[in-house]
Amino acid sequence: MGKADLQKRSKKVRSSDYACQFREIDSPVHRIGAGWKLLLGMAFCAAAISVREPWSVGVVVLIGAVYYFAARLTLWDLWRDVRFFLIQMALIIGLYLFKHGMAGLWPGTRTSIQIVLFFVPGIVFLRTTQTSQLMRGLRKIMPYRLAFLIFICFRFVPVFARDIREIAMAQRIRGARLSPRELLNPRSWRDLFHCLMIPLIIRALKTADEASLSAEARGFGLRPERTYYDPEGVRIQNTEVRSQNTEVRSQNTEVRMKRQKTERKQHSEAT
Amino acid sequence: MEKNTTFLWNRFTLREALLLGFCATFIVITRAALRMKLNLPGHSMFFMMFFLVMARGCVPKLGASTLVGLIAGVVSFMLGMGKNGPLIMANFVMPALFVDGAAFFYPALPARLIPCIVVGALASATKAITGVALDVLMGIEEEIIVQHILITTTFSSLFGAAGAALVPSVVRRLQANRLIPGPGDSQS
Repeated sequence: MGKADLQKRSKKVRSSDYACQFREIDSPVHRIGAGWKLLLGMAFCAAAISVREPWSVGVVVLIGAVYYFAARLTLWDLWRDVRFFLIQMALIIGLYLFKHGMAGLWPGTRTSIQIVLFFVPGIVFLRTTQTSQLMRGLRKIMPYRLAFLIFICFRFVPVFARDIREIAMAQRIRGARLSPRELLNPRSWRDLFHCLMIPLIIRALKTADEASLSAEARGFGLRPERTYYDPEGVRIQNTEVRSQNTEVRSQNTEVRMKRQKTERKQHSEAT
Repeated sequence: MEKNTTFLWNRFTLREALLLGFCATFIVITRAALRMKLNLPGHSMFFMMFFLVMARGCVPKLGASTLVGLIAGVVSFMLGMGKNGPLIMANFVMPALFVDGAAFFYPALPARLIPCIVVGALASATKAITGVALDVLMGIEEEIIVQHILITTTFSSLFGAAGAALVPSVVRRLQANRLIPGPGDSQS
């Protein structure tokens, strides 16, 4: 097997870069609407909270596993999603063992499993629901001004991420301690804030000024309901005004020519 | 066109709302960056508390931090950041509400070091409320809940206090250059 094939296979198995990342595949769970997924999730969470006996915990774990893998998520995805809980599981089991000895093993394990199960519907929801689908849902339940701010936040994530990189690079050239290794040292945090955060906030202030001026110039936020700037409409209006101007100008020219003709006629008659 | 008309909640102008939206963007970016680099428990509170208190310093109006927390929570949830699913929103909104409440009673908060440290630590600790609620739902014994929350909250509070402690020097510099409203311009 070639190196490229191995890389391809490894990429296929390790299908997500981070926990709860949306997976762009087709599955029965992907096809369920966001609202239904939330309802299913709520029912599942209620079940995860209420179970106490080993058999009922087993049943809920089974249902959770079916729901998770029905979304065509892999074991690697599962590891990515639940590895954060391992420390918490160890902590809770440890505390139970400390208090009750070996008798605390089952209650500790059960509680840890319940906590993981409680978050499974949320994880599956994020894994199978596109951001655009979430946004459409948000628009229905949120005032447009708040939704606008959320979209702005989304829009500016890459812009400010690039700005941060650029500012950090420029400041490092000037000697600021901003490399990832240097930032592990708390003494470098002063540089982080004075050389990176202040320029960043100033840039944010400037961008907010410009963006608000630009939006206000288009009449954004003047009405209680959402309005849209229509450049095509403005272009058509401009064209109409221009053609009207041309007509008026040609009419003026005609009037002027008629007047000149009359004046010339009167002049010739007089002479 | 009339300028400085309120855009949101009858309180914030479009410029202020955008600025607060940008603070939320910074929280999301730093959270994503730190998650890739560090993986220490509670570390996300460091930048979150910095920007929540900073937001209140930049826009000295009641609700500024809450708006930042709300937007950052929704965006983090939509980007699939954090393991808590929809509960992640509570983790953002509750510290923000605490900062707003504290700044309402003490408007000079963003420019004072000790109050910032105290508020940063306490606001970070409010994150534990979701943990307590979950533990109670799961039927964990009270004593174990207290121990569990103490352990998980200590790191958050330490990072939150450290993040908030860096705000006053930045706020004072921005105020000195008249880039943000000064102490006499409090509008809440």
